[in-house]
Amino acid sequence: MSAQRNLNFLVVDDYSTMRRIVKNLLNELGYPNVTEADDGTTALPLLKSGNFDFLITDWNMPGMPGLELLKQVRADERLAKLPVLMLTAEAKREQVVEAAQAGVNGYVIKPFTAATLKEKIDRILSAQAVAA
Amino acid sequence: MSEPPPDIVAYADSVAAMSRALAAADEHAFRSALSAFDAVRDGEVLTGVRKVTVELQSALRRFEIDARLIGMAHKVPDARRRLEHVLRLTNDAAHRTMDLVEQCGPLVQRIEQGMETLRAGAASGAAPGSETGAAAGALREQARASVIECLHGIRSRLGDVRLAQSYQDLTGQIVRSVMALVDELQRALSELAAIVDGKEAAARREQTTVRGRGPVVPGVEHGQVVSGQQDVDALLSDLGM
Repeated sequence: MSAQRNLNFLVVDDYSTMRRIVKNLLNELGYPNVTEADDGTTALPLLKSGNFDFLITDWNMPGMPGLELLKQVRADERLAKLPVLMLTAEAKREQVVEAAQAGVNGYVIKPFTAATLKEKIDRILSAQAVAA
Repeated sequence: MSEPPPDIVAYADSVAAMSRALAAADEHAFRSALSAFDAVRDGEVLTGVRKVTVELQSALRRFEIDARLIGMAHKVPDARRRLEHVLRLTNDAAHRTMDLVEQCGPLVQRIEQGMETLRAGAASGAAPGSETGAAAGALREQARASVIECLHGIRSRLGDVRLAQSYQDLTGQIVRSVMALVDELQRALSELAAIVDGKEAAARREQTTVRGRGPVVPGVEHGQVVSGQQDVDALLSDLGM
């Protein structure tokens, strides 16, 4: 569990308030290492140069949207297995399917609760631990 | 010999009658045929005038709509600035609220510490008149003052949180004014489309999903959408996730 507390999260959302909410929730859940980016274009270089363990991204953003970021992450050999949680207001069934096909690990619809975020993160980390 | 155009044929009878009346030197018959000729010509002129009137009306209507559209086009940058202001106001209010909530965290912590000091003091059982009792009493008084100060701090911040919600009044008014412009624009464009095409404007093209569509808005057609997180989980479960 203490190892998990050292996980590095990258939160990508074009709204600073949403980034702040997610960051605070992650801190309260025991994850103090949270970095922020405002869209896929700024997030991707961070992911490639940094040592991130978990990506939480919005879908609808200026510049590079979340789905494109997800595809780029999966296409990168070093990032391909990075856990990605989509945290978005995009609610069309075909979009959920598209994100799943692109390799998302979890999909949380906005507005969301702290309990839902925790549950999805725990589930993704458990699945990753089993796979390792 | 080629056939004469239909609008000339209409004159043939009256011209022939005038010709016959001239040959017979019948003035009455000639004038009667001339009247018939005039009636045909008047009918043709009236049809032409009616057609020109309809076209003129349509052109005037289009001009009126064009003028309205031009007026509205000038308002669009203004509407954009208004919406940017809404974004700023909502953003500021959200950050202000979160600042205040975060400031309450340490205050709550200090209250917990103060309450613990008061509880420990009450449980110690030191005699009120003794030196230990006096020191414990001072400590309790300090803790009590700290708790009260923190409670006042929280109350004050809760008041500020309430005040921060006043953005809704301002943004609501701005959004309504932009909605009125959009309504007006939609009406003018529909009228213009009705004049140009004789029917409603063509259905808008479906956006691609890559960019995203934004949140589901009640009353707006979005196609097949999930009803909430449970629906998303069920869908992903069906997909084997």
